[in-house]
Amino acid sequence: MKQRDTPFDDPTARFEAGRFGMWLFLIALGIVFAATILGYLVVRIDNGAAFVPADAPRPPGMLLASTVALLLSSVTMQKALRAGRTGDPRQGGLMVATLALALIFLVAQLMAWRSLYAQNLTISDNLYGWTFYVLTGLHAAHVIGGLPPMAITTWRASRGAYGPEDFRGVTYCAMYWHFLDAVWLVLYATLWIGSMG
Amino acid sequence: MTTLDSRPITPEVRDNYLTFTRGLLSWIFTLDHKRIGVMYLFAVLSSFFVGGVMALLVRTKLLFPGKVEWMTADEYNKAFTLHGAIMVFLVIIPSIPAALGNFIMPIMLGAKDVAFPRLNLFSFYLWVLGATCAVWSLLAGGFDTGWTFYTPYSTQFGAGGTIPVLVGVFILGFSSIFTGVNFIVTIHKLRPPGMTWFRMPLFLWALYATAIIQVLATPVLGITVALLVVERAFNIGIFDPSMGGDPVLFQHFFWFYSHPAVYIMILPGMGIISEIISVHSHRHIFGFRFIAFSSIAIAIFSFLVWGHHMFTSGQSPLMNVVFSAITFSVAIPSAVKVFNWLATLYKGSIALNTPMLYGLSFIFLFTIGGLTGIPLAVLSTDIHLHDTYYVVAHFHYVMMGSALIAMIGGLHHWWPKMFGVMYNEFWGKIACGLVFVGFNLTFFTQFMLGSQGMPRRYYMYQPEFKIYHHISTGGAYIMSIGFLITAIYLIYSLFAGKKAPANPWGGASLEWQCTSPPPHDNFATTPRVGDCYDFSAVRWDEKEQGYVLDTEAHLAAAATGKGH
Ligand code: HEM
Ligand SMILES: [Cu+2]
Repeated sequence: MKQRDTPFDDPTARFEAGRFGMWLFLIALGIVFAATILGYLVVRIDNGAAFVPADAPRPPGMLLASTVALLLSSVTMQKALRAGRTGDPRQGGLMVATLALALIFLVAQLMAWRSLYAQNLTISDNLYGWTFYVLTGLHAAHVIGGLPPMAITTWRASRGAYGPEDFRGVTYCAMYWHFLDAVWLVLYATLWIGSMG
Repeated sequence: MTTLDSRPITPEVRDNYLTFTRGLLSWIFTLDHKRIGVMYLFAVLSSFFVGGVMALLVRTKLLFPGKVEWMTADEYNKAFTLHGAIMVFLVIIPSIPAALGNFIMPIMLGAKDVAFPRLNLFSFYLWVLGATCAVWSLLAGGFDTGWTFYTPYSTQFGAGGTIPVLVGVFILGFSSIFTGVNFIVTIHKLRPPGMTWFRMPLFLWALYATAIIQVLATPVLGITVALLVVERAFNIGIFDPSMGGDPVLFQHFFWFYSHPAVYIMILPGMGIISEIISVHSHRHIFGFRFIAFSSIAIAIFSFLVWGHHMFTSGQSPLMNVVFSAITFSVAIPSAVKVFNWLATLYKGSIALNTPMLYGLSFIFLFTIGGLTGIPLAVLSTDIHLHDTYYVVAHFHYVMMGSALIAMIGGLHHWWPKMFGVMYNEFWGKIACGLVFVGFNLTFFTQFMLGSQGMPRRYYMYQPEFKIYHHISTGGAYIMSIGFLITAIYLIYSLFAGKKAPANPWGGASLEWQCTSPPPHDNFATTPRVGDCYDFSAVRWDEKEQGYVLDTEAHLAAAATGKGH
């Protein structure tokens, strides 16, 4: 006998429940980031200007590039969602673009790390370096964690799987993605302001 | 009319969730909340056994004031740490929501399953992965930080298995978060028509309040242990004072989770007690709304009192005063519940079945546990009592004497439902008595020890404490015998227990209206909901050897508001 994989008989109710669950999950993740930023602010404020070592590099310009990539990926994601909702065949292409921009974001983050490392900012010498790598790393880990579901959604979108009757997958992806985008903006701003002596 | 007759439909329905599909794979990949609940139950009780063995090792060592040959001080530290970490993270936190709650909650609600069955199974495997990390930690040298993982000990010293166990706690945290998400959505979105918030059994209210804490507090634990791992790995971090970090910040983060976590442990237990007290005294629960809202109040307050664990940490005196004052206020919703349970018992026709004995034990032990929290919340007395056995006794009264006792009571209450067999009442009562006596011998003595100045977690002690330690250890053995007997008669009942009726106790909530054990789909049709604490339409049926509920009369009483 086949087992039931949802208790909902009505697809709309199932979708509503899914979105609600996703919201709760994002709230939980939001608390993860909020707590991390709070911890950062405590040590940053405790230490005053001494927090930033005299010769320490500021956040590299490469972060601007990654920010643009992430913002653009949110745009393509949103378009993919709209295409998915209407059954528009462009959904596949838009998802591929989103995935590509996500990868560009990660590469840009990696280059930013390398440029800081080249300027002798390491994770283990002072808290300025430590917090930078840990906060950006935490965010990158969430981007990486989002890639497998994104890939599955992309694959399904490229086969035109989403339409007016069922666009759950793209919706959940889009929620997660916009969330990471927003978190990044807050994080970037925090690190930027925090790096001022 | 015919389909909704709540008379057990046993003769026609042969199929139940246990026989629905067969084979090991059908369990490993099951999406059925009942089977997942049973797997959790098995996992949690196994962990309870391991944690219990650790406790016995610790207590046995403490028979001797000085060094013993068979256990060094380091091994002792590892033993009590392992005991605490297992009991908190692997046993009590998941025990009621994930094991009993998973099984009972959707049925009580009148739903076919939890909202996200796949996520539910995923939570379970996260639990397994987290438990595996604890084993990995043991292979890597164990851990000896105490369950609280305080820095700088945990980051700069500590045994070799510290990182693995922190990884494990991180994973277990996410298991708990996903369970919380699942339960909140289930309760919001899967209530059948008629199951309004105020028709919802109090156990579900309690699980709902618990789930809110799980979702909002656990992420902080997750990130805290993650930061600890990074700090230990790189020898620098925001909790490291030598680099400008702040170790007290760790305590804030840890207790911001772990105080609410004590309510993750106790709230579901309180929910079970509301069910047991009402059903086994056949009397409408007194003050339904008070109990329901006090759960929510506790959930909210629980976020505001974490600083009471840090009165001696050097936080500002003003903070101490504020935290102390708010802590007193938490006692109010807790007391509201106790008074309502007592009022329910008053003039009830009390049946002293094993679940009820556990229920009464709970009320007694929780009262002691809660009241002994007050001197800890008073600044002047806490300076003396902090980090002594008094604290150990306090939290065992609330965590073991209350949360765990409620879990065992609930296990007996729903055992006939879960497995379709009755356990042996005689041995049930004996075992409950042994546990009750053993528990008090073990932990009441620790109030004496603590108030006379015996610090917690010490390997050696002054000879004048010997008598208390001896009584305490003796009690621990008595308790163990009680648990052993429980394990034996419960397992025995699975093979040779009398067949359970659908409604052995005379309950009126929905889970008693489906067969024992329930069918895969729980209900053939969407159930209709009455007042689950109105027992006026419940009567004993000689042929069934159980109670039956006259659904029409039950619904009619609910419609007219009679039966209160
Ligand atoms: C009802 C009112 C309660 C009050 C006023 C209260 C108060 C306190 C205070 C002030 C402390 C800190 C003592 C110290 O370390 O010096 C404490 C410790 C503790 N309490 Fe309670 N408590 C209450 C209920 C509970 C409940 C219901 C639970 C769990 C189910 C609980 C679990 C704990 C634990 C685990 C600790 C010690 C943690 C540790 O240091 O290892 N308490 N309590
Ligand atoms: Cu507390």
